[in-house]
Amino acid sequence: MKSVPLVAVIQFPGSNCEYETKRGILNSGMDSCIYRWNQCRELRDSQPDAYVLPGGFSFQDRVRAGAVAAKERIMDLVFSEAAGGKPVLGICNGAQILVESGMVPGWERGRIESALAANHISGRSGYLSRWVFLHVAAKAQQICPWLGKTGNGIIPLPIAHAEGRFVFSEENRERASSSAALKYCDEKGIESSDYPVNPNGSFLNLAGIMNDRGNVLAMMPHPERAFWMWQLPPWIPGEWGDRRDQSLRSGSHADTKGPGSLFFMSLADHFRGER
Amino acid sequence: MGNISIIVRLKSPDPAAMTAMSTFRRIYPETCPDSLERYDYWCFLNPCLGRETVSGIVSRYHDIVNPNKQTWSFIDEFSKPVDRSDDRMVWIDVRVTDRVDSVSENWTAILRRNRCEVEGVLCSVLWRFGFASGISFDNARNRVLDLTVSTRRDHGLLANPVSQKIDLPAPLLI
Repeated sequence: MKSVPLVAVIQFPGSNCEYETKRGILNSGMDSCIYRWNQCRELRDSQPDAYVLPGGFSFQDRVRAGAVAAKERIMDLVFSEAAGGKPVLGICNGAQILVESGMVPGWERGRIESALAANHISGRSGYLSRWVFLHVAAKAQQICPWLGKTGNGIIPLPIAHAEGRFVFSEENRERASSSAALKYCDEKGIESSDYPVNPNGSFLNLAGIMNDRGNVLAMMPHPERAFWMWQLPPWIPGEWGDRRDQSLRSGSHADTKGPGSLFFMSLADHFRGER
Repeated sequence: MGNISIIVRLKSPDPAAMTAMSTFRRIYPETCPDSLERYDYWCFLNPCLGRETVSGIVSRYHDIVNPNKQTWSFIDEFSKPVDRSDDRMVWIDVRVTDRVDSVSENWTAILRRNRCEVEGVLCSVLWRFGFASGISFDNARNRVLDLTVSTRRDHGLLANPVSQKIDLPAPLLI
């Protein structure tokens, strides 16, 4: 590993969160570089320590969100690096690509065992953009390099997707809970399958799943859009709302890290061997 | 009365079909089709006055068919593919439907609320594969299934069987 870990951000045609993601990584004390989907050789030669598939609309979500990007050659490299244990994070459209690649839940190598299906909400369909609250599954916090610093608190993050409902086949529904990493809850930490606590009808209120080893995490909420405290809306209640108010009062609002930073700081800690 | 289905197609080339075709060419050069077309497929459940009811709904709701950019026809009037470059081509249709679908549920609610005299509506996507002459129908059908059902990253594209189901409507008689 390099003295400063290098995190590669993979940009597909239609990705639109790569620069915020890169900034989040840099502001967490790691190095980062954006690689286009056709820069396979450059990516391989730079030997990144971790990979992030950012949000957006790869290939304009044509056919099915993430389905076309999952077939790209660059994903061969990400797939083999993940199998070797390197950390991989997919955010929103990146999560859809990981699911369509069979990298999560990854029970059988390379097999597609879940789906991120269209949101299922009574009375509305299509794209949904709002803030949600999450808690981290205990096992995930122990084994996932992206979640080590998330603690036991409730994490507010924004979502923005049309296809974010985790689905598992009938025979895998019981097994799915072992892959849970992030779950939707209300501001007090109580889970519910009803809208708006569970905003898309996701099975088991799942907002993020991981592979058995924990190094691959696919999450629908956008941590890079809540990296700084100033990105939180004023109505956010609870611990993060208090922290936001405090940073406003102390004049440190612009420089105080927000809840989304926890995911990138966790990885930095992981590389420092602090967990 | 029975169900009545329509297909809706873009007047311009369908971008999803073009992307799917280029992906097939790249990852399945041996088995990719020679032509691929994509349509929205709407099945209206038991419309009270049959085609008259469906025509009324389609003309009223431009979210179903936007006449500025789309055309539509009843499924039984829709037999000829757009690509007629080779009259001996073998054509196979495959319909992909979400197992749980808010769009169908919400359109059903809208149409019932507005007294459209239809029990409900089911939305799908219809993909039409065309293979050049010289391939048997069974062989073409097997290729379509392989290309459609995505079971692994390197296998299939058009449907994720965890959340979607597919069916192959009756063969085309062109």
